Amino acid sequence: MRQSLFSVMFLAAFGSLYAATDDSVFEARQRQFLEVVSREPGVSIYSLAAKFAVGRDVNKTVAAFDSALGSFHGYTLMGTYLRFRSILPDSLHRKVREIFRSRGLYRGDTENHWVMHYTGLYLAAQTWPHEDGTQWFNGRSSDENLREAKGWLDHWMTVATTVGQGEFDSPTYMPAFLAPMLVLYDCATDPAMKTKAQMMCDLLLADFAVEHLRGNYGGGHSRDYPADIINPLAAQTTRVSWLYFGEPKRETWEEADFLPRVRSSWESVFAALSSYRMPDIILHMATDRSTPYIQRERKRVRNVMRFGDELNPPAYKYSYVTADYILGSLHGGVLEPFQQHTWDVTFISEKPNNTIFTLHPYYSSHQLGMFFPEELDVLVQDVDRYKLVYTSPDKWNSSSPYEQTFQNKNVVIVLYNVAPGAHHPHIEGFFPKTLDARVVDSTGWIFCRGGNTGIAFYPLKPYEWIEEEKNWRLRSYNLKNGAVVEVASTHTDADYNKFTYRMRSQRVKAEDFERTLTVTYVSLGGDTLTFTYDGRRLLNGKNVDLAKTKFYDGPFMSAEVGTGIIELRHGDRVRILDFQKGKIIE
Amino acid sequence: MIPLRRIYSRGIAVLGSRLYIIIVLLALLADVAVAQREVIYMAVLSSFHLRDKGDNTPTAGLFVSTDRGRTWQHGGWRDYIRNFYSEEGSDGTIWSACGNGVLRSIDSGKTWRITTNWEVTEVLKVKAAETEPSIVFASTAYGIFRSMDKGASWEKKVLGMRRPYSGDVCIDRTNPHHVLAASEEGAYLSKDGGEHWVVAELAVKGVRVVVQDPYNAKRFWLGTEEDGVFCSLDGGQRWEQRSTGLDHRTVYTIAVHPKKQDWLYAGTYGGGVYLSTDGGAHWEKHSLGLTDLHVHAIVVLPSDPRVVLAGTLNKGLFRSTDGGETWQFNSRDDSQVWGLSVRSVEAGR
Repeated sequence: MRQSLFSVMFLAAFGSLYAATDDSVFEARQRQFLEVVSREPGVSIYSLAAKFAVGRDVNKTVAAFDSALGSFHGYTLMGTYLRFRSILPDSLHRKVREIFRSRGLYRGDTENHWVMHYTGLYLAAQTWPHEDGTQWFNGRSSDENLREAKGWLDHWMTVATTVGQGEFDSPTYMPAFLAPMLVLYDCATDPAMKTKAQMMCDLLLADFAVEHLRGNYGGGHSRDYPADIINPLAAQTTRVSWLYFGEPKRETWEEADFLPRVRSSWESVFAALSSYRMPDIILHMATDRSTPYIQRERKRVRNVMRFGDELNPPAYKYSYVTADYILGSLHGGVLEPFQQHTWDVTFISEKPNNTIFTLHPYYSSHQLGMFFPEELDVLVQDVDRYKLVYTSPDKWNSSSPYEQTFQNKNVVIVLYNVAPGAHHPHIEGFFPKTLDARVVDSTGWIFCRGGNTGIAFYPLKPYEWIEEEKNWRLRSYNLKNGAVVEVASTHTDADYNKFTYRMRSQRVKAEDFERTLTVTYVSLGGDTLTFTYDGRRLLNGKNVDLAKTKFYDGPFMSAEVGTGIIELRHGDRVRILDFQKGKIIE
Repeated sequence: MIPLRRIYSRGIAVLGSRLYIIIVLLALLADVAVAQREVIYMAVLSSFHLRDKGDNTPTAGLFVSTDRGRTWQHGGWRDYIRNFYSEEGSDGTIWSACGNGVLRSIDSGKTWRITTNWEVTEVLKVKAAETEPSIVFASTAYGIFRSMDKGASWEKKVLGMRRPYSGDVCIDRTNPHHVLAASEEGAYLSKDGGEHWVVAELAVKGVRVVVQDPYNAKRFWLGTEEDGVFCSLDGGQRWEQRSTGLDHRTVYTIAVHPKKQDWLYAGTYGGGVYLSTDGGAHWEKHSLGLTDLHVHAIVVLPSDPRVVLAGTLNKGLFRSTDGGETWQFNSRDDSQVWGLSVRSVEAGR
């Protein structure tokens, strides 16, 4: 009885979810996603929300929601509560309210934490207005809390749309930004805030779309975890891409090879619940790979609180996106405390671990002290305690001050200048065992083939191979080090053989590298790249000034730094997100 | 026959010993009478366990003791908000420096209000002026903030600071316009209540802690990152190093003995507790019984200076009842005790 009552109420409230509209394909995926998550074992706010949505075990779900209430975070709690409050008993209404009176909600110390915190606080203050400070965990009135939450959300949106996100392009954390914005869009009663949330959803998805390739989030990432870095389709964003872009195929994110690292983190359940509809233009941006393109972006380093003169130095991204692979890079140096992924080539493959990259496994208390306020002497142990691999010489994510890149289209030069005495004085290269070919040529080039992609990798210094479970690890002990990488689409054996044949004649000029740290390379396409570590990047003799990088610069997205006006474009269609005016112009 | 002189001197001795006993008794009585209320505040930054298994009590946050550190009760917010430091102002207001901002309680910790907005975060210390408790300074990872109205409003005050990170602030108890701040670039000094700052003449970087001497208002102490202890005798203008015997030079905390001038305790990274009995000229390690030698906070109880508490970065709180000669584990195993403070309120106040 209760279940059928629930179904009626749910359909009345969220009828659009199941209505046959132009978005019916997306909505079908929403339903499928909720079905999958609703069958998840264990209690999480995500599985409970999905159970509510599909009407599975409603009485049990209400009881589970009740018993686990205290462990939920602000925005997930409010997002679930506001959607399904009509089916919750009065006692639970009071309990949810009590949470915001008696619990001190931690704001966290990262950008995604704050977005989640202030979204939750905003919705709570909106839901229970006109109450004094005695009714709130922080002693502030409803009005004060609403003002505080709105103040920060406005501030964050301004920063994110003018100088960029600090936790940018993260395959793990992108959904942690998107989900609160979806909840805000669905639940904010202030039309202005609702529109801004919608625009942020557009922007987050567009930002992903232009570096998306069949579910893979290509290019450099501010922060990510080793398991996702070496296996890109195991990232949380794979679910986002499937829901919104229809790629990769659904089975991918349910297969054992691609199961997400944190299986219970189903932030995307809020995408499956949301009434937000992504504009078609973003779908085309995400899937049209008919012509290879260059995507340049200017992001920012997250807040530097110590040992730096600039709060948010710039981070420059360069991605070359094709139908078969994305070669992408950040310009290098420490752009994030410790989980940076500076460059890779990620190629389409039916197999997992479809990526190749290098890094220097750096760690230091000084580096952490730039971003965290605690004592330098204990930061390393504290981070190692929670992130486990921070001090490991074998780690697959690293923010090293001794790494810099220079990319032009399908070529990247990566240089290292590791300081004597640094921890782990070696560089590491990830070469998956799932490659279709990995051949060390007598010319010094390492030729790899994955899917329809050929990769030529030229190490500047001697190295050794270490065999591991999923990969071959290239390790090189020279402190002044680097590699030149050229990538090509190679759809047939003949293509691949032609590519390797031509590459054998390619020479990397680095004769006086120990002294000059300079490499010159002429690509198959005829471009000459000259790169000096801590020096200039020359393309065909002309200096490439990274400081002139626009906020977005590519065929599908463009914006100047500092304007807050972002243009999305595909063919003749244009959608402008004007964050200055809080308007969408089409 | 007993010589008169001997009788005289014996009489003096008897009288002296009796007088001594009387003085001691009077002192003890006075001690009890004066220190009617003594509250110790312990800020536990983090713990391996979020909650005590037994009673679901939070294991991090603010803890309060009113029995000289024997037992502790959790106070403040029950949820994790990164409490770096708490102290009670001279007007009874309790202040907490937290990741979430500056929290204030004016009802002995029953209720709390967060006084800062989103612009104030990662607050490492909060100090209220002793003589004008409505003046409050907060040192944060993003600079110094000041409130002139007991937390009702805050202003960022970093003019003159090249880099704003500050781990500690010290308001002169005799002049609230005279303020010192610990910074990654040394010590900063303000003579106008934080409106302007000038960096002190000090050939070190990374100052962790600033303490004003209770006996001499012109004397200040600094604990530094890797450079030991420094002392100023002119209110913070000039500094001299006083680190002889201090084998571990990163000094997180300094506590001056409440009854013995020139006795100082220093909490260090790696060496535990050091004691100087000659105004910092020489230091001796006093860490017997400490199972974690990373000491981040020390208080010496005014009511009984034999009781010294040391907060460590890995193993919780230790307590000594013999002035630091030996230490016993007290509480909060596997926790980071970041801050300790004590407020003794005299009778009638």
